[in-house]
Amino acid sequence: MNKSSAQTKYIPKDIVSWFFLPLFLLLVVFPLLALVWNLKPDGIVRTLKDWFFWRSFKNTIIAAFAASALGSVLAVGFGYYHLFHKNTFTYKLANLMNDLPAAIPHTVAGLALLLAFGRKTCGFISNTGLAFTLFAVVLAMFFVSYPLCARTIASGVDGTDREMVDVARTLGDSPVQAYFRIVLPLMGESIFAGFVLAFSRALSEFAAVVMFGGNLPGSTQVLASYVFTKVEEGELEMAVTASVVCILLSLIIVALLSIRRRKHA
Amino acid sequence: MLKVNGIYKAYGTQEVLKSACLEIGSEIKVLIGINGCGKSTLLKIIAGIIKSDKGNVLLREKNITHLAPEERRVGYVPQHPALFGHKSVIDNIRYGMRNGLGSEELLEDLLSMLGLNDILNKKPGELSGGYKSRVSLARALAPEPEMILLDEPLSDIDAAVKETLLPEFRRVTKLMNVPVLYVTHDPAEAEQIGDTFSVMQGGRVNDIDSANHAFEIIKKDKLISV
Ligand SMILES: Nc1ncnc2c1ncn2[C@@H]1O[C@H](COP(=O)(O)OP(=O)(O)OP(=O)(O)O)[C@@H](O)[C@H]1O
Ligand SMILES: [Mg+2]
Repeated sequence: MNKSSAQTKYIPKDIVSWFFLPLFLLLVVFPLLALVWNLKPDGIVRTLKDWFFWRSFKNTIIAAFAASALGSVLAVGFGYYHLFHKNTFTYKLANLMNDLPAAIPHTVAGLALLLAFGRKTCGFISNTGLAFTLFAVVLAMFFVSYPLCARTIASGVDGTDREMVDVARTLGDSPVQAYFRIVLPLMGESIFAGFVLAFSRALSEFAAVVMFGGNLPGSTQVLASYVFTKVEEGELEMAVTASVVCILLSLIIVALLSIRRRKHA
Repeated sequence: MLKVNGIYKAYGTQEVLKSACLEIGSEIKVLIGINGCGKSTLLKIIAGIIKSDKGNVLLREKNITHLAPEERRVGYVPQHPALFGHKSVIDNIRYGMRNGLGSEELLEDLLSMLGLNDILNKKPGELSGGYKSRVSLARALAPEPEMILLDEPLSDIDAAVKETLLPEFRRVTKLMNVPVLYVTHDPAEAEQIGDTFSVMQGGRVNDIDSANHAFEIIKKDKLISV
C-alpha cells in the first residue's frame, strides 16, 4: 500500500529539463526565432523606405499612448471606488466588466464599438460616425487595454496603508481629497506599471482595431494591421520586418518595466 | 467632555461591542482589554471612521454620531504611525491645519516639546520609530482637536525609548486640555500615562480604579475563556 502510493507519487527528477524545457523552446522561442531568421536585408530596406510603414508605426505609438493615457485616467476613478465603495452595485458591476474584454473575442469588442459609435449614433460627425478614424483606433485600443490599468491600480490601492486614509479623514479630508492627496501620490509605481501594461496591450491589438478603426493604409493602419496587409499582398519579407519591429517595441517596454522595478526594489 | 452611549457593533454575526458606554472629562483615560476585544473598533467609531449599529457619541454636548470623520474634530494616532510618506515632517504635521485650524503658537510649542525642530524637512522614511510616533502625535494635535484618540501608539517602540516618550506624550496631550483616550497592553505604560482607567470586556467598558486592577480582571477573563 505504502509502496504503491509512493510509486504513483514518483516524479522524475529531471522532468523539467526533458519535458517542459523542450516544449517551451519549441512553442514559444522557436516561432520568434523563425521570424528573425526570415529577416532579409532586401525586406528591411524596402520596409524602411515604405511611407505606409512609417505612418502605421506612428499611428501605433500615438494611438496606444492616447489609449493608455485615457485608460489610466479611468483606472484612477476605478481605484477610488475600489477604496471607498467596494460594497456598491456600481463598483461590483465595474469590477465584473473588467474581466469582460479579456474574455470576449476582440472582433466582438470591435463590432460593439462600431454599433455604439458608428453611423447610427454618431452619423452627424461623418457618414461613418467615429468609425474608421484614428480616434476609433484609440477607442478600440482603450477598450481592450483599460482593464489592465484598472487591475494594476486596484492592487496598488490594496497595497497602501488604510490607516493613512483614516488619519487623513480625521485631519479634515473628504474621501476624494484623501484619495488625491494621500493615496495617489504614493501610487506612482502602480500608475506607471498600469500605463505601460496597457500600452503594450494596445500596441498588440488587431481585431478590435480593424473592426472599428479599419485598416486604411496611411490613416488608420497600425503595425499589427500593416503586417496583416503585407502578408495578404504576398510581401512576406516586409511583413517579417514589421513584425520584428513589433517584437523590439515590446522588448523595450518589458525592459522599461524591469529597470524601473529594480530601481525601486 | 466625551460621552459614548450604548454603542453596538457587529461584524457579520460577530458582535464586538454590546452597549459600550464611556465618559471622559479633561483627563487621560487608559482603555485596557485583551486582543481582539474591540478597542480599535470603539476608537474608530468615536473618530467616525466606521459606523456603529446603535448608540451615540457626544462631544462637548454635541451629537456627532452621524458626522463624517472630517466633520468631527477628533485627533487620531493609530498603532502604526501611518505618516504620509511623500510629505516632509512639517507638511505631515501641518496637514490638518489647512482649513485654518490650530495656531502657529501651538505648532511651535508642539515642535519644541517633542524635539522635532531639527527634522522638519526630513521625509518620514528617514526617521527612527520614536520620532515617527512623535510626528504622528504632533500631526494629530496641531489642528487643536476637541479630543484625542491614541490606539497603542507606542507598541512598536523599544522599552528604553518608551521610557522617555511616555512623559513627553503625557505632557503634550495634557497641554491640550481635552479628553484623551489611550489604548495600551502594557500595565506599566498604563500607570505612567493614565489619570483614569477602564477595562473592556465582553463588548462593554467598565471604569476601574487602577491599571493593575484592570489587568487582574483581564487575567481572570483569560483563565475562564481558556
Ligand atoms: N473590518 C472588520 N471586519 C470583520 N471583523 C473585524 C473587522 N475589524 C475587526 N474585526 C474583528 O472584530 C474584533 C475586534 O477587533 P478590534 O481591532 O477592535 O480589536 P482590538 O481590541 O483593537 O484588538 P488588538 O488588541 O489586537 O488591537 C476582532 O475579533 C476582529 O477580528
Ligand atoms: Mg487594536
